[in-house]
Amino acid sequence: MKSALLKRDLKLTPETSVSALKDVSFVADRGEAFGIVGRNGSGKSTLLKIISGILKPTSGIVRVNGRIAALIELGAGFHPEITGRENIYINGIMLGLSRREIDSRFDAIVEFSGIGDFIDQPVKTYSSGMYVRLGFAVAVHVDPEILLIDEVLAVGDEEFSQKCIAKIQELKYRGVTLVFVTHQLDQVRMLCDRAMWLDHGEVTSIGDPARVVDDYLQDVSGAMPAPPSPAPDTAKTEIEEERWGSGEVVLKRVVLTDSKGHELVALGAGSAVVVEMDVDVRVPQDDFVFGIGIYHADGSCVYGTNTDLEGLLPGRLDGSGRVRFLMPSLDLVAGTYRIDAAVHTRNGRAFDYRRGVLRFVVGSRVHDIGIYRPKHEWRFDGKIAFREIDNLKRNVPAPMAEYLRENEPKPKKKS
Amino acid sequence: MNELATLYRYRQLLAALTARDLKARYRGSILGFFWSLANPLLLLGVYTLVFTRFFPQQVVTPYPLFLFAGILPWTFFSAAVLESTNSIAGNAGLIKKVMFPAEALPLVVVLSHLVHFALALPILLVAMGIYAAMGQVTISPTIALTPFLMLLQTIFVAGVAMTVASASVLFRDLRDLVTNLMQLGFFITPIIYLIDRIDSRLLRALLRLNPMTPFVVSYQDVLFFGRLPAMSDALLMVAYALVSMIGGIFIFGRLRDTLAEAI
Repeated sequence: MKSALLKRDLKLTPETSVSALKDVSFVADRGEAFGIVGRNGSGKSTLLKIISGILKPTSGIVRVNGRIAALIELGAGFHPEITGRENIYINGIMLGLSRREIDSRFDAIVEFSGIGDFIDQPVKTYSSGMYVRLGFAVAVHVDPEILLIDEVLAVGDEEFSQKCIAKIQELKYRGVTLVFVTHQLDQVRMLCDRAMWLDHGEVTSIGDPARVVDDYLQDVSGAMPAPPSPAPDTAKTEIEEERWGSGEVVLKRVVLTDSKGHELVALGAGSAVVVEMDVDVRVPQDDFVFGIGIYHADGSCVYGTNTDLEGLLPGRLDGSGRVRFLMPSLDLVAGTYRIDAAVHTRNGRAFDYRRGVLRFVVGSRVHDIGIYRPKHEWRFDGKIAFREIDNLKRNVPAPMAEYLRENEPKPKKKS
Repeated sequence: MNELATLYRYRQLLAALTARDLKARYRGSILGFFWSLANPLLLLGVYTLVFTRFFPQQVVTPYPLFLFAGILPWTFFSAAVLESTNSIAGNAGLIKKVMFPAEALPLVVVLSHLVHFALALPILLVAMGIYAAMGQVTISPTIALTPFLMLLQTIFVAGVAMTVASASVLFRDLRDLVTNLMQLGFFITPIIYLIDRIDSRLLRALLRLNPMTPFVVSYQDVLFFGRLPAMSDALLMVAYALVSMIGGIFIFGRLRDTLAEAI
C-alpha cells in the first residue's frame, strides 16, 4: 500500500492485506475489444479499477493512451433527490464532458435510456432498471476512446440488453477500445477480439476469446479427466489452424466439397457448397451441438450457426458418423475465407473446436466489394443508358476486360 | 500546484456538485434555505436573551447585531468543517466506482456552506438597516471589505476541510474529535464576548492563538464597529489561509491514493 502517512505507523495498516492481482500484464490495442473472465473474487474488477485509475497498483505500471470512461457501476454518481435531467448533467461532467457537450447530447441520452417523461422526476422514483439504463446511456454518450465495462450488460431487460450490445458494437466499430468484465461468456465470444481468464489474480489463459472461454468453462465444469488428447490422427498439420476441446467427441476430418462430393479449395460466387465433418465419438454424449462459422480473412464473421440455435435438440451421440452442412448457394464476394467447425455442449464447453480448419478462396471477375453478394441485377427504365463495356474496363484489369469483351456479350449481369 | 490546476479543470464539476448539493438539500422541505439560518438565529436569540436580560453588563449595543456578525462566519467554518469529515466516506460510491477527483468532495461542502453564508448576509444587512434607522448604529463603508474576508476565510476553511476530510477516512475518531472541538471552539472564539474585555492577559493571548479569532474579530470590525481590521489580524488571516491551504493540499495529496481502499 502506498500510503505515506501510514508508513511509520504499522498498527494502522489494514490487518489483512491480500494481493488481488499478481503478474498480470497485457496489452489491449486501439480499437480492440478485450474480455476478462473469471470466477468471483478473481480480481477482474480490481483490474478495471486499476486501469481506470480509481485504485493505484502497489507495484507495476498501467499505461493508458486516450480518454477513458469506466462503467464500474452504472449510475454510481446519481443523487436520488434530484431529477434525471440534473443527474445527466452532473454524471456527464463527472465523466469529463462540458456542459455544452452534454447539451448537444442530451436528447440522444434520454432517447437511448427510454426514460421518457420521468426525466424530470427525482431519480429516487426510478425503478432499478431505469436507473441503470440512464447510467449506461450517459456513459456511452461520453465518446470515450477507452471504455471499461464491469458486468453491467447483465442489467435491464432483454430489450435494453440488446440495445447495449448493439451500442457497444457500434463503439467498437468506431475504434473505441473496450475492456470488459462479464460472466456472460457468449458476450465474450461474440464481442471480443481477445480475452483473458483471471484466476486468483493470475492470468490463466489469454488470447482467442473462444479458446479462453472454453478453457474457463472446462475448468468451471469441474476438471474432466482429460480424455485422449484431441486426435492428431488426421495427421495433416493445418497451417494456422487452432484447435482445442476436451476430445470426448472429435471432428476427425472436415472438408469442403461441391454438391457432388468433390473437394474444393476455390470456388466461384454462388456455388453450391457442402461442409462435411466426420465425427468420432470417444465418450457417448446426450448434450451436443454442431456448429459452423464462416469468417472473412479480415476476421469478421460472415455467418455462424449451430444445431442448437436452429432448434435441433440433441438426442444421442453414440458412435461415429458424418455431419453435412449444405449451402445451395454461397453468395460471397471475392476473397479469402475460413471456416470454423466445432462440436460442443449446449452451454459452450467444447469437445472439439477447430478454428480455421478450412480455408477457401472465392473468385469473381467483378470487383465488387464487401462480403455478401446478394443475388441481384440492374434494371433501367426511361432514358438511362450505359455502355457496359466501358464500365467493365474500369473494373477489371485490362487484359481480362479485353478477353471478356470478346467472349461475353452481357458481362455486367451478375448472378 | 498541480492540485490547483486540476481543480481549475474541474470547476464545472465543482459548480454542478455544489448546485446539486443545495438543490438536494432543500428539495422537499417547505422552509428550504431558512433551515440553514435556523441554527444561527436560535443561537442569536439565546445569547441575546442571556447577555441582555440575565447578565446585562459589559455588552456592546446593539448586542444582537454584534452577535450576528460573529455567528455567521463561525457557522460557515464549523458547519463546513464538520460536514467535510463525512464528505468522502459519505460518497464512497463516487470514490470507489467512478473516476472522480476526491478533493472535490470537501470543497463542494465548503462552497455550499459559503453559499449559505452569502445568502444570510442580506438578512444581516437588513438588520443593520433597521438599527441604523433607529439611530443605534451607523453603516460604515467598511462593509465593502466583507467579500475579501470571505475569500480569505474560504481559503482557510477549504484547507481545513481537505485535511479533515481525507484524514477522517483513515482515522475515524477524527469525526468525533472535530464535533467536540467545534463545541469548544465556539466559546474560545470571541463571538459572544469581546476579547478586549477579558482581564487576564494570558487568557487573551491564548484566545488569539485560535485561528478563527482574527477572522471573527475582523468581521465584527467591518460589519459592526465600522472600522478597518487591525493590521495584525489581517496578516494573521493571510497566514492562516495560506498555511491551511498548503497543508490541506499536502495532506490530501499524501492520502489520496489510499482513499479508495480505505473507505
